[in-house]
Amino acid sequence: MNPSNTVSSPSRLSLFWHKWRFHLNVLLLLIPLGFMPKYLSEAALFRGDAGLGERDVGEVQVGPWSLRLAEFRNEAPRVQGPAGPMKHFNAALCQSCIGQVKATYLRIGKPRSLRAAGVIFFGSPYRMGALLPVPPKTQPDAELWITLEGWDGSMHQASIPLNQASPATVAWLKHQGAKP
Amino acid sequence: MSKKSRSKLWFLVHSWLALPIWFFVLIVCVTGTLAVVSQEIVWLANPDMRASKPSDEAPLLSYDQVIAAIKQAQPQTQVQSIIRPDESHFALEVGVTYPDGRPDTVYVNPYSGVIQGSAPTFNFQAFTRALHGWWLVPFTNGYSWGWYLVSFLGLPLLASLVTGLVVYKRFWKGFLRPTLRIRHGARIFWGDFHRLSGIWSIWFIAVISVTGTWFLIQALLGDNQISISSEPVIPVVARENVPLSVDGQAPPQLNLDRAIEIAQQRIPGLEASFISLPGNAYSHLEIGGRGWYPLMFQTATINPYNGDVAASRLLSDRTTLEFVTESMRPLHTGDFGGLWIKLIWFFFGLLLSMMVLSGLLIWTKRTALATANAFKRSQKPNRGARIAQALQPSVHRESSEGSL
Repeated sequence: MNPSNTVSSPSRLSLFWHKWRFHLNVLLLLIPLGFMPKYLSEAALFRGDAGLGERDVGEVQVGPWSLRLAEFRNEAPRVQGPAGPMKHFNAALCQSCIGQVKATYLRIGKPRSLRAAGVIFFGSPYRMGALLPVPPKTQPDAELWITLEGWDGSMHQASIPLNQASPATVAWLKHQGAKP
Repeated sequence: MSKKSRSKLWFLVHSWLALPIWFFVLIVCVTGTLAVVSQEIVWLANPDMRASKPSDEAPLLSYDQVIAAIKQAQPQTQVQSIIRPDESHFALEVGVTYPDGRPDTVYVNPYSGVIQGSAPTFNFQAFTRALHGWWLVPFTNGYSWGWYLVSFLGLPLLASLVTGLVVYKRFWKGFLRPTLRIRHGARIFWGDFHRLSGIWSIWFIAVISVTGTWFLIQALLGDNQISISSEPVIPVVARENVPLSVDGQAPPQLNLDRAIEIAQQRIPGLEASFISLPGNAYSHLEIGGRGWYPLMFQTATINPYNGDVAASRLLSDRTTLEFVTESMRPLHTGDFGGLWIKLIWFFFGLLLSMMVLSGLLIWTKRTALATANAFKRSQKPNRGARIAQALQPSVHRESSEGSL
């Protein structure tokens, strides 16, 4: 804003700048306008308009019980702070097993015991969510293990290929592996 | 530097603080003002949100009665949380999930337990807050850059307050002899308006700018994984404390009213204004409400099987630093003392928006004059000198006017 810096014969551009410099910031309004569709689609996603999540994985039979699994977002794991990349899965228990299932867990790789069954799902059995840590060194052909614990003390497990649970995660892992 | 040129410099700083981004600042002020009363606006627009009393002496239902009423009306619906808003004219907000997997917030009458309706799909409250708070820029990893963009404005706002008081000589006289000249033209009117509303808003601008700057600091701390919290991480309910059942069905849990009694024994004077039910078999029931210090919530975390208080977070558990930092948000939003505080915040929010606008009007009127003067001297050889001259008269005029 030092006046001595301005050119001696004002160009068309500098005239424009001097005329409109205080109005250009109105353009900042384009930012929220541009993000409006994204905001609304996010709100719809959280409202459950698209069901459990962006991509339905399908019904998985776990012993006598079953659950419906979905990727909340159809995308690679997101880095959330120091905990590293996390993948958000949602699930719904079958109507008849709601009263019998005590807890639902998710883990990449087979759990050695119930105590290491992985992350536990939170929320209503109609729509529960879990944030699954996905270490970047995970093999792309890994399996996703679902563990259900019953109120009677029983435990049932099932697994599906990670590629089936989340193709976006596997694609991301392959890309990670390509890096030195 | 002479006293005069110093005040000129202060004046220039004051003028330039908001000017290049005045419209952005204005919209942030306006959306913030709207956000203060967004809950009330929804209340006006949506009758479902109102807590109409069926009769004058109708008592408030207890939380258990509310749950029972919902169970009776919709046996399949699962309740996750109940919020009793601060003002008694608002219905309860109950977080539920339907069997088809859809989460919802429903408004429940606190006297009759009737489910009055679902929250509208377009959440006006959340939208105004998102627009004001982070310019709708999504959060993907840590704080959104929109949050930084908006919260950064706390600094120029604070600087505007300080420089404004410096250039407005003996501003305290404005309290004793308020001046608002209406019949002397727009330039004089907006100048008087800017100064008059400025001195009466000193406290408000200070509060908003300091708390706004805190939001910036909060984001910087958060994104750098620096925590100032003294709050312990509460472990889940131990496996052995979750009873097994012989019939394979979930064991009974503590009823809510009993849990609130337990919480109130631990936290005397607690008014349970929100309840969050256990998220799974190994998680706790959480009960919270305000205490004597209205800006913060106190919470009790209770084992839903045996009623043990696993943890509690009282006012006295906060460090001095947390007392200050946790007060920042309510001070910014004005949602800590019912409708009247909100209306005060709303009024001063409007005034602050008008100050941004009047500041701009003053500048454009002055710049228009200065430009006209500059054109008169357009034959002069050096354009640089011309602009310098164009700026001079305005500064002279304002600093002499500031001492009026």
